[in-house]
Amino acid sequence: MTDRQLLVGPFNRVEGDLELKLDISNGKVSAAYANSPLFRGFERMLLGMKPSDALTITPRICGICSISQSAAAAFGLADAAGAGLAREGEKVATLLHAVENVADHITHFNLFFMPDFARAKYEGRSWHAEAVARFTAEKGSSLHQTVAARAELLHIVGLLGGKWPHTLAIQPGGVTRAPTARDIIRMGASLKAFRKYLEERLFAAPLETFLSLSNSGELESWTSGDAGLFVRIANELGLSEMGEGPGRYMSYGAYPMSTGPLFAAGRWADGVVSPVETEAIREDVSYAWMLGDALHPTEGQTLPDAEMREPGYSWCKAPRLGGQTVEVGAMARQIVDGHPLAVSMATGKGVLGRITGRLIEIARTQIVMEELLASIDVGQRFMDRVVVPENGEGVGLVEAARGSLGHWMKFEDGEIVSYQIIAPTTWNFSPRDASGVAGPVEAALVGAPVDPDEETPVSVQHIVRSFDPCMVCTVH
Amino acid sequence: MDLAEMETFYDVMRRQGITRRSFMKYCSLTAAALGLSPSFVPKIAHAMENKPRTPVIWVHGLECTCCSESFIRSAHPLAKDVVLSMISLDYDDTLMAAAGHQAEAALQDTIEKYKGNYILAVEGNPPLNEDGMFCIIGGKPFVDQLRHAAEHAKAVISWGACASYGCVQAAKPNPTRATPVHKVITDKPIIKVPGCPPIAEVMTGVITYMLTFDRLPELDRQGRPAMFYSQRIHDKCYRRPHFDAGQFVEQWDDDNARKGYCLYKMGCKGPTTYNACATTRWNGGVSFPIQSGHGCIGCSEDGFWDQGSFYDRVTDLTQFGVEANADEVGLAAAGVVGGAVAAHAAVSALKNAQRKSQKSKTREEA
Repeated sequence: MTDRQLLVGPFNRVEGDLELKLDISNGKVSAAYANSPLFRGFERMLLGMKPSDALTITPRICGICSISQSAAAAFGLADAAGAGLAREGEKVATLLHAVENVADHITHFNLFFMPDFARAKYEGRSWHAEAVARFTAEKGSSLHQTVAARAELLHIVGLLGGKWPHTLAIQPGGVTRAPTARDIIRMGASLKAFRKYLEERLFAAPLETFLSLSNSGELESWTSGDAGLFVRIANELGLSEMGEGPGRYMSYGAYPMSTGPLFAAGRWADGVVSPVETEAIREDVSYAWMLGDALHPTEGQTLPDAEMREPGYSWCKAPRLGGQTVEVGAMARQIVDGHPLAVSMATGKGVLGRITGRLIEIARTQIVMEELLASIDVGQRFMDRVVVPENGEGVGLVEAARGSLGHWMKFEDGEIVSYQIIAPTTWNFSPRDASGVAGPVEAALVGAPVDPDEETPVSVQHIVRSFDPCMVCTVH
Repeated sequence: MDLAEMETFYDVMRRQGITRRSFMKYCSLTAAALGLSPSFVPKIAHAMENKPRTPVIWVHGLECTCCSESFIRSAHPLAKDVVLSMISLDYDDTLMAAAGHQAEAALQDTIEKYKGNYILAVEGNPPLNEDGMFCIIGGKPFVDQLRHAAEHAKAVISWGACASYGCVQAAKPNPTRATPVHKVITDKPIIKVPGCPPIAEVMTGVITYMLTFDRLPELDRQGRPAMFYSQRIHDKCYRRPHFDAGQFVEQWDDDNARKGYCLYKMGCKGPTTYNACATTRWNGGVSFPIQSGHGCIGCSEDGFWDQGSFYDRVTDLTQFGVEANADEVGLAAAGVVGGAVAAHAAVSALKNAQRKSQKSKTREEA
């Protein structure tokens, strides 16, 4: 029995707009409905454009994961041409993408997620004063340090890509900028500065020490840095008991290189990793304001229902893998890749697990970036000639900060005739499907505690933000 | 609220723990960023010590948030901190603490409290199809929020290509009828700061100028601040000597690309784009798109998203509808360069380019 209903939104400190409808009974969420209220129609605009224009148009889906979009488009075009990026070019492309992903992770932790613990609701908690000093929205000391560290890190993208957001450097054959030896040194200094920020502020310990944690018990006694403050808060508030995901994780494999992805691809369920069968993906539109059938993205359409008829309640389609929901994101990648701490927290750790996955990935990605930079041979080619066919089709699969991103495209007579995008938050924030199964976030919200006087329950905010939604990508 | 009761900028900065020394440094940086002589530094300081703080409401419509992302990465952390604390972003749904009804209330409070005195900064734009239901904020179309917030604003800043012109979401067939702000708000001074996104230092520069001098900066005919949008990328481009010498990149992977030759043949829109990229540069002044080996796509010009392929050469300036509205000075200069570009094309026998240009024209007419 539903005691009351809440409409939560606008949701701030998430990328884009989000609205949740919550049924509350016995002081807990009994059902949740996620609405992505923003629709722009990129998949429709791309029709009739030249294939290469996807490189400029699709990054503008999102101002914080624009490189992910650009990489997916470039890989899709390369796939259609039966080609790949030049060896050194793929290193630069990976470096660009890794910088963006890690910048997104620290932005999420510091600017979007942690400020909730500085709320007055938590006054009196032993950690509250510390949380206020470090994480008050727009003012906290950690926020300021993070914004400065992030700007410095993004100099690497500036140098390699000319500008960020909306970088144009990644092309189907490689990258437009061949770095010089001087650039390598300069970027090395930026990476060193970023490691310093991580080791003095976020972890306040060597990254390798944090990465040597192998189970949640060891994590619970981690005390140093902003990560330590988070763990302390999580322990006290029981964040591991809220926001449990579907327990199935998916990763397309982060940073696809000719030698294989740097973080493995796979689908994880019940402790078993199996290959991702992308042909088993369907986008269900039963509860979306969209017309058409549940189709694979190669056949997919984007036909918004202008009447916004029921039972639709979101512009977001509902992607399913083999008919099931899957969770995507940093935690999914680290579980699929087999990091011991992540694997130990794959089930039963809710919000705590999801944030920990991101912390693991921040530390690991810093090391990946350092190794990549050191391996770049400035004397080699960074771009090969790739001719995108006038007729053909391609798929670009990458891992954005928030999870698996796919572009499925078809060309005829040099024009795009089909372009379908499934973004990470489309997976995580999908509405219900034909069999009534709720999307991952909708399911994760069930059971979240709600005080009688709460209109915008703080538990709901913790859970939603733990997924780091990017609502502008979701519907695009 | 009585203006006399309001804090000054300096009060706010002091409250944020900014030292006198940092404050003076900020005033110098501001003068430099705005291209003013050092004699302006004390004037800026005086204004900030005596003028009431100007509140800013920052709202988001149909957008990708790239403008905010650019803004918080401004090169001078000090300038960014100061500007952020100065404007306090009285309402900004990407960065603020509140959520839900609280946030709605915060917006309403700010509007009431500072009626007629605040600046409304708009990121993104309203989609008008289906009564605006493609972008819903707090259960209502964004266009309603925009109209409501604009009603009592002193002035409106249109951040980025979305708010200024429509940007890629307005690309044909413009499924949601994404509409620039000035087509919806017609009774307020509007300052356009286009670019996708705009350069961070341009954003902080514009807002600092408005807060410091309490007036709009000089605008060009398109409503852009002349101090940042009066120069053509092509004229300030460090690769310009290669253009003049006829040295071009012919293919992405050729030796000329490595040598840093001109990207005109790769579709660079520098010859028809007015922005500060070539001088201010990006991400703390380290580079800009042309320096990374990719042509300019002209993202600060109206309609850049619907001009045929981004990799087509600029051969026919009539494609660029924007030139018809630009400053007369800009028009004349562009005309001359248009001629030069056309001549260049002819000399190089760029039949391919001409064919492409024909094709994009046909598409435009279709």
